[in-house]
Amino acid sequence: MCSLLQQVAQGASKHNAMMFLTFLYLAACLVLTTLATDYFERLDLTPLPLGSLLASFEFRSNETLSAYNSQNFRYFPRSLGQVLQHADTKELHLRFSTGRWDTETWGARPWDGTKEGGTGVELWAWINAENEKEAMRKWITLNQGLSGLFCASLNFIDETRTTKPVLSFQPAGTHTQNGSLHLLHGVLPGEVVCTENLTPFLKLLPCKGKAGVASLLDGHKIFDASWQSMSVDVRPRCLTGQECLVEIAQTIDMVLNIARAKRPRGDPIPRPVQPHELICDETKSYHNHETCYPVDALETPEWSLNDVFGRPVAGACPLCDEEGPEAKSLCLHVPHSQGVWIGAGGFEVRSGPGEREKRCWQLVPGERFDFDMPKTSVRTHAQLDLTDELITAERTMTGHGAAKGGMRTVFTNPSSKDPVDIVVFESLPWFLRPFMHTLKAQITDTGFPSEWEVIKDVYYRPAVDRKRGTQIEMVLSIPPSSTVMVTYDFEKAILRYTEYPPDANRGFIVAPAVVRILNQVDATGNAKAIYIRTTSLLLSLPTPDFSMPYNVIILTSTVMALAFGSIFNILIRRFVAFDEVPENKLSKIVKTSRFRIALLKERIMGKAGKKE
Amino acid sequence: MYFLNLISGILPFLLTLAFYNVQTHAAHTSNWAVLVSTSRFWFNYRHLSNTLSLYRTVKRLGIPDSQILLLLPDDMACNPRNAFPGTVYSNADRHMDLYGTNIEVDYRGYEVTVENFIRLLTDRWEEGVPASKRLLTDEGSNILIYMTGHGGNEFLKFQDSEEISSWDLADAFSQMREKGRYNEMLFMIDTCQANTLFRQFYADGVIATGSSEEDESSYSHHADNDVGVAVIDRWTYYVLEFLEKEVTGLNSDKTLGDLFDSYDVEKIHSRPGVRWDLFPGGEEAGRSRRVVDFFGNVQGVEVQSGNAREELQKDLEGLMRLVEEYQEFAAAQEKNQTLMDEVMVQRGAGEKAQVQVQDGKMTSSVRLKKDAFSSRQVAGAVVLAGLASLWYFGSKIMV
Repeated sequence: MCSLLQQVAQGASKHNAMMFLTFLYLAACLVLTTLATDYFERLDLTPLPLGSLLASFEFRSNETLSAYNSQNFRYFPRSLGQVLQHADTKELHLRFSTGRWDTETWGARPWDGTKEGGTGVELWAWINAENEKEAMRKWITLNQGLSGLFCASLNFIDETRTTKPVLSFQPAGTHTQNGSLHLLHGVLPGEVVCTENLTPFLKLLPCKGKAGVASLLDGHKIFDASWQSMSVDVRPRCLTGQECLVEIAQTIDMVLNIARAKRPRGDPIPRPVQPHELICDETKSYHNHETCYPVDALETPEWSLNDVFGRPVAGACPLCDEEGPEAKSLCLHVPHSQGVWIGAGGFEVRSGPGEREKRCWQLVPGERFDFDMPKTSVRTHAQLDLTDELITAERTMTGHGAAKGGMRTVFTNPSSKDPVDIVVFESLPWFLRPFMHTLKAQITDTGFPSEWEVIKDVYYRPAVDRKRGTQIEMVLSIPPSSTVMVTYDFEKAILRYTEYPPDANRGFIVAPAVVRILNQVDATGNAKAIYIRTTSLLLSLPTPDFSMPYNVIILTSTVMALAFGSIFNILIRRFVAFDEVPENKLSKIVKTSRFRIALLKERIMGKAGKKE
Repeated sequence: MYFLNLISGILPFLLTLAFYNVQTHAAHTSNWAVLVSTSRFWFNYRHLSNTLSLYRTVKRLGIPDSQILLLLPDDMACNPRNAFPGTVYSNADRHMDLYGTNIEVDYRGYEVTVENFIRLLTDRWEEGVPASKRLLTDEGSNILIYMTGHGGNEFLKFQDSEEISSWDLADAFSQMREKGRYNEMLFMIDTCQANTLFRQFYADGVIATGSSEEDESSYSHHADNDVGVAVIDRWTYYVLEFLEKEVTGLNSDKTLGDLFDSYDVEKIHSRPGVRWDLFPGGEEAGRSRRVVDFFGNVQGVEVQSGNAREELQKDLEGLMRLVEEYQEFAAAQEKNQTLMDEVMVQRGAGEKAQVQVQDGKMTSSVRLKKDAFSSRQVAGAVVLAGLASLWYFGSKIMV
């Protein structure tokens, strides 16, 4: 467009016309560039060990704050904008996740865990309100609105599931009204994430999943992934000297197993490998022609976008940048030595020296793009140059029985010299009652023998039955090359009959703990946030026999009927001796009629006797 | 301003036009569908696929997602037991993925309760419930209600933990009638002893049909070996077969009579029932209703009922009043800025979200201090020692 205008300008003969056209051209280009930077999208593909593939989708749109406030939406989705404005929400973070990130095999999390949520749905927001009560009211309005928008039961985030973390979350945006902002956090750890959540997610994008990298997003593949996390973040951004913006960033991260993703849609059920195709571990002592210990696949199968996502990219989204680094919307993180066959419809750009090797493609609107990644040998963690997580956290429940239990969280710091400071945030349901006096932290294994104070600070809000849950925030310091175990005991409350969900015997899901790693800096020296989340836990509560009330009713009624019947019988009946029973009319009549017949007989007989 | 003048200029003309408008036929202006599955757990897969089949049918015939309320109590598509992730099939041939790529489930999981269902029908909600979760019908709307699950004589179970009775349904429908929430309604139910569920209905304008008589079970049609459970119920299967084969588009002239005549007891293995008596005109009128009057969508239909003239006149008078009000408002705006501010404040007050929140104490968490623990311990020890000394010396004094 710009070059076209330039040609027109060159073609113009008169000097003043040329001046005018150049001006027009400059203005048009200016408008175009400012417009173009308002939308950005990218897909990063990173092979992981054992034939897995990490796909990270990122979509960002901007709107100026004034346009946003006057409901003049262009790339920012109107439906979401109106819900946020209605509930006075200044910053929003919404997460939908399923599966577990396998730290041991896959290394550090994408986006340092900042775009990730605990299993199920997690939501936190900064709401502008005068007091806590008003903030709560707006928060519930927000949840209602979002539940309609995202087809999730977000309206279940009520006061019992809402917490107000102090240390765990920091606003990501620039806020002017800091005094009146309230941070509220809610989780639904048992919420299912499925296609009905992806559908509204895609509808928020300006290209609606019809063009650009979003065209690869298909529920059948995303919800077959080993791990996936969808996020929506809305924040105001003010850069010095520019007008403030409202930014919406949406991401989807997923780990696909390439072999699994390549199975055809209609026939995804794996068939057993034929005996002659099995690769056996011949070092096993029992290995012979009849017994085989199969080894893990030695090769990652060849793959293309069509194989793993079910279709190629349907061309670039026309709203993206047409030039510059932001225009390269599809990146593959493999070494330059790796050969990749690319089809038409994309220009390749390779990363320069000094950075991690990757190649990116700039897509063309309306032209399909795909590439073929040939078969590669399985590479390990180290060969793939994956970074390790700074700390690992594992949270489990201990104890047995229906009344009591314990929570145990194990943190391991693999670093040999640096201690790690963390904030652990736990939000527990009200029916799980922790005993804070049993809170203990002990160093179970260390290569750093010295006195160390693990628990530095604790923020605690006790639960109120049926009103709110417990909230615990602990600041811990994990010494180098050590394992720290934090434990506390808890008691399980007994619920009322009507408070049990329809599938009570399955147990109740306790939300994952959020671990924020403190004092970290990025490459440029700025402070950065790193988050990890533990897995969610299943708490089994004592469940009554739900048919019990009916049994009780039936049994009681039977007993009542028996007791009442016999007592009533005894009370109203008069017991007399047999000869005391007064004669009734019928027997009287029978008696008298008999007597008369006998009398009559006698007479007749008597007359006959006289004759003789 | 000019625009308002234009409207006020046109209005008298419209008023006169209204008297000549004699178009009268009982038609509806919108179509809504409420599709409910009431069973949780994987082995009830077929109930979700029944409901989703109906969802695909009404979507195929043009009812938009915003006018379909889909209630699914469990997740079958992304269930870990499902060998076909993100997919629900209602046939072992697996030609049609019912979950697809574009689906909006309005109520799911624990949200599918009797209370929510009754609230949905009668539209009695606390404030803040989003429009996508509400049945925003009016007296011109035709509603299709489809329910499936496990039931018995005059009841239907919801998620194995509660049940709705035929009286509850009858009362809810009657309330809908009184509030002018529907024009005509088709109630379909596939469950054991289904025909007992509409026995108590008494609201006008309802045609009801069910899969089985009292003391009869409703059976599943067939199972898919890879899914591992039954995928569809018999009655729903044959209803769908009719809809797929005979009702191919919005211009189909198949009637409800044709649909109900297609029931074959030999195939369904139970005796389906139909109830016409509540419908104005009875069976004759009911039979002539087109299937797409309930399953399809209407757009751009102008509706005039019998007393169209008066109603239109009333509407136009109302419009006139509104226009006058706006003119006054505009005049005031020009004349007096403060007056307008007052009005704006009044309007703003009405618009504010008023969600009732329990007066729970949302206090923030408190920082725990170690010295507080020790000082408390000291205080406790002092109190205990005081009590002990009181007990000891008290006995001495008494002696």
